[in-house]
Amino acid sequence: MALSQEPDGQKGLIFNIQRFSIHDGPGIRTTVFMKGCPLKCLWCANPESQDFVPNLMVRDINCRDCGACVEACVEGAIWMNEEGRRRIDWDRCTQCLLCVDACIYGSLNVCGRYVGVEEVLEEVLKDSAFYKNSGGGMTVSGGEALSQTPFVTRLLKDARREGLHTTIDTSGYVPWKEMKGVLCFADLVLFDIKHLDSEEHEKTTGVDNRQILDNLRRVSREKEVWLRVPLIAGFNDSDAHMDHIAVLGREIGAKKISLLPYHEGGKSKSEQIGRSYGFSQATAPDDDRILYLKGFIEKRGIGASVGS
Amino acid sequence: MGLTEQLKSNLAIKAVRNVQRGYTEDEKSRGLFRPEIRLDLQRSRLMTESFKETDGEAMVLRRGKALAHVLDHMGIFIRDWERIVGFQTSDPEGLYHPIDMNWRSVMRLVNSEGGRTLLDDEGRNELEDLCEYWKGKCMSDRHQALFTGDLEKYWKYEGTFLWSHLSELGIPDYEALFKTGLEGRIKMAEDRLKEIDETIPPDYVDQKEFLQSVVIVLEAVIRFGKRYAVLAMEMADAEEDPGQRERFMEIARTCERVPGEPPKTFLEAVQFFYFIHLVRYLEYSTLGIGIRLDYLLGPYYEKDLEEGRMTKDGALEILQLLWVKFLELGLVYSPLVTSVYGGVASLQALTIGGTDREGRDVTNDLTYLVLETANTMKTIEPSIALRVHNNTPDELLSAATDTIRTGIGYPSLFNDEALIPLLEKWGVPSEDAKGYAVSGCVYMEIPGKNITRRVEGYFVLAKCLWWALHQGVDPKIGEQWGARTPDPATFTSWEDAFQAYLEQVKFFTTKLAQVENTCRDLYAKYCPRPFYSAIVEGCIEQGKECKQWVYPSMVHDMTIVIGSTNVADSLAAIRKVVFEDKRVSFQELIEIMDRNWEGREDIRQACLNAPKYGNDDDYVDLIAREVHHGSEATMETVKDRFGFSKRGDGSAVSATYGLAVNTPATPDGRMDGEPFADSTLAPQPGVDKKGPTAVLNSCAKIDTLQTYNHLLNQKFLPQFLEGEMKPLFIDYLKTWRDMKIPHVQFNIVDSETLMDAKQRPEEYQDLIVRVAGYSAYFVELSEGLQDHIIDRTVQDLG
Repeated sequence: MALSQEPDGQKGLIFNIQRFSIHDGPGIRTTVFMKGCPLKCLWCANPESQDFVPNLMVRDINCRDCGACVEACVEGAIWMNEEGRRRIDWDRCTQCLLCVDACIYGSLNVCGRYVGVEEVLEEVLKDSAFYKNSGGGMTVSGGEALSQTPFVTRLLKDARREGLHTTIDTSGYVPWKEMKGVLCFADLVLFDIKHLDSEEHEKTTGVDNRQILDNLRRVSREKEVWLRVPLIAGFNDSDAHMDHIAVLGREIGAKKISLLPYHEGGKSKSEQIGRSYGFSQATAPDDDRILYLKGFIEKRGIGASVGS
Repeated sequence: MGLTEQLKSNLAIKAVRNVQRGYTEDEKSRGLFRPEIRLDLQRSRLMTESFKETDGEAMVLRRGKALAHVLDHMGIFIRDWERIVGFQTSDPEGLYHPIDMNWRSVMRLVNSEGGRTLLDDEGRNELEDLCEYWKGKCMSDRHQALFTGDLEKYWKYEGTFLWSHLSELGIPDYEALFKTGLEGRIKMAEDRLKEIDETIPPDYVDQKEFLQSVVIVLEAVIRFGKRYAVLAMEMADAEEDPGQRERFMEIARTCERVPGEPPKTFLEAVQFFYFIHLVRYLEYSTLGIGIRLDYLLGPYYEKDLEEGRMTKDGALEILQLLWVKFLELGLVYSPLVTSVYGGVASLQALTIGGTDREGRDVTNDLTYLVLETANTMKTIEPSIALRVHNNTPDELLSAATDTIRTGIGYPSLFNDEALIPLLEKWGVPSEDAKGYAVSGCVYMEIPGKNITRRVEGYFVLAKCLWWALHQGVDPKIGEQWGARTPDPATFTSWEDAFQAYLEQVKFFTTKLAQVENTCRDLYAKYCPRPFYSAIVEGCIEQGKECKQWVYPSMVHDMTIVIGSTNVADSLAAIRKVVFEDKRVSFQELIEIMDRNWEGREDIRQACLNAPKYGNDDDYVDLIAREVHHGSEATMETVKDRFGFSKRGDGSAVSATYGLAVNTPATPDGRMDGEPFADSTLAPQPGVDKKGPTAVLNSCAKIDTLQTYNHLLNQKFLPQFLEGEMKPLFIDYLKTWRDMKIPHVQFNIVDSETLMDAKQRPEEYQDLIVRVAGYSAYFVELSEGLQDHIIDRTVQDLG
């Protein structure tokens, strides 16, 4: 089952379609999460979204320790420990996903599936009544939304044809010509700004920010842009840095800056895909600081919000 | 808000709200009542006295005189913080019980573990003496004596339906009463008496006795009010503090006038209403409120404001005092029914918003003040029903959202755009339908009309499916109990099982209707209600007691249906596992299920993983639609005593929990005795994985017009109803309205629930939380993040 869906060029790899999405653009929306991302941010809240292929994801709370997966695993990567609990040796796991078929309790799952534009759109259109009343629509996020531009372009185009408001949520780390082709079908771009210092950026995300900032200026000439800043105490929340972001935002005519305080949501998900989480020391600024920063930005003549 | 706090400290919480399921030792040990609470015997004592004296007279006169005797002699009291007076018992810690209805369940209760503290030995002895009189005379005994043959067999609860004569609801014609006062009603009765003396109709004696009883009762109610006036005056005379003296004087002035005369001020209108409400409970063990509070009392409030008699804070205080009064009403039920209702709740709901009979929005200042009262009092009763329609002001939706956010569970929202057409389909004239109100839970009624008999029982649809899988035979005892439907081994599709299910629904609806129809005739003969008849439209006018005729519509009869979602999920599982995937034969599935899945967890998991209602998946949602529409159409083929169709109703309250015990395992993967989905439109807990919009889409596939009034619970964290998200919540509500889903109410998830979810994740798989731009199932979050959200929720809910 799991292996039967290979990419055929027409399909996109997604890891979730989330309805009643109320943080990713205006109104009540459905967010399509594309799988695969060129960045490796330390604080990533959805580490399962990083790989460009489907991978095994474990929900321990569903496991009844029945041992069926042990039988199914040809690599000997799954075993029962002395207490009779199922354990996984992630280093030996080849992501063959045979164990997923063996699990009847929904404890072993595949994260990521290949889908056609029509299938996604059918799901998205189900909430049209909510979009109409709330001014919502569809948001494509990730992973990196723009790493699968042919698929996303078709998806946005068809969504537009259905009269939906379309939003792209991007890290901006994409060649401009890829980005440009998609943009004409988007009404709004949510553009992530992690750090304005390129070195800091590279240290924490794996890539420098030159292409990102370059793209930001270009995008803002064509589309409405909201900046989104993941807020991490001591990393990017200083007055000076925030001032730079606010100035940049005003310069490019961003409509608002969303502050997304860091949370450790990525931690449990890292465990679920067998990765270590290297960001345990990080925290969000405290509530007073967050409110202060919101006001700080607003004083510089640009809208700000927390959490969305 | 010193005053509010003071009032809240006076609230008499009578029952530990302990929803019991069956009679397990663990649940028993938690107890049912606070130790101070006593069963008050005064009503029983006075009724018995009167009944002994009136032996031989017509029942309508006997019941009228008995009520008058109670009102003239029951102990009354006024507490120094009160401004609205009247009490159901002679003691603030007293509980009411209807000995004339059923003495057995009261005896059972006071002799049970949970109810032992309700009476001391002396009280127990007196109760025994009183019960001696009612043996063979209380309604329940009279009813049982009627049952022979099949009637007796099916009257006894075995798990498919629980017949009950608990609640005759109905909403008095407050509009008319406020215009004339009870004195005006007495005059109406006297005029009718004069008229029949001239016309001598064929039922002259019946009419005369009824109308005489009306006059006896109404005069007693006016005297009852004046007793409070006298008491208040005495207390004023003895009071030295001038402020307190004035409060007593105010009570004296109010009760001197109402309910005899029409109310002139807001305070008088509230006191008038409360006397009527109270006496209605004293006459008969009824439930509900139903008053359209803002529509009816708003004009009095506005006039008081205009003429400088009253301030907003003053009116708020009066409403708060009224809330205390509502909460103090409460009756005892049998242990089984206590488990169904969860304590002594009398399902009191009042209605705000909506339209007048011409379809104009009725929102006024009092609408908002009612919500403010709820915000400040946070009591479990009364529940507030907010009628929402296309012209409901955004401001009202916003205020309602704030109240919902406090976590008290109401206002519960009723969709006029779905319910008014439904009432019209039931034969209610359009003008009356536009004036509907909700009296308790999701019971819809037409204010002022002769609608008395409502809930005839709980009907477990899931058990009907179970019978269909067993040809109506109980495998344990081998007895043919349900209809003899075809052998499931011959079924070639889920539709065959569905047809057999409908046959069982028809069979048991007919049985229930037979029990019910005998009951109605019996109650018309032995339990007339002269007081209630006097305060609705049409009875005095025709000289006919309320049970001798009926407001012509099928709004009356309702059978509360339970487990529809489990039927739909079961049929979908049969379709998938048996007929599509061919994992097992139908016979094998039934055998495995009857073993409570023992040894075949794989098949249970396959059934659990089949599509489940609530995820906006047509595969199962369209089956749910068939189940709802088909069950209702089948019920409607069965008629009541007046020839109107029976119908379903979605007010299952906690019965989905209590009454699931007697349904063995079902094909949806449910284990023996496991609770059903918690309302007619709700998905089975934990299976709806696509969020609140998908749930509404699933619900919208079930056509209200083809069914009945439903109940839908939705769970939200408080964060969704505040700040930047609040407008989106309101948009969500508007979409609910546009989808014509008849009802929705919200459980705001509190920190306790979240802590429980942390401990027992398997029960909370559907609980979604948002963490700054990212959403997740709560149970999958790391412990640190779970704790963070719990802390946030504590802050949010204060």
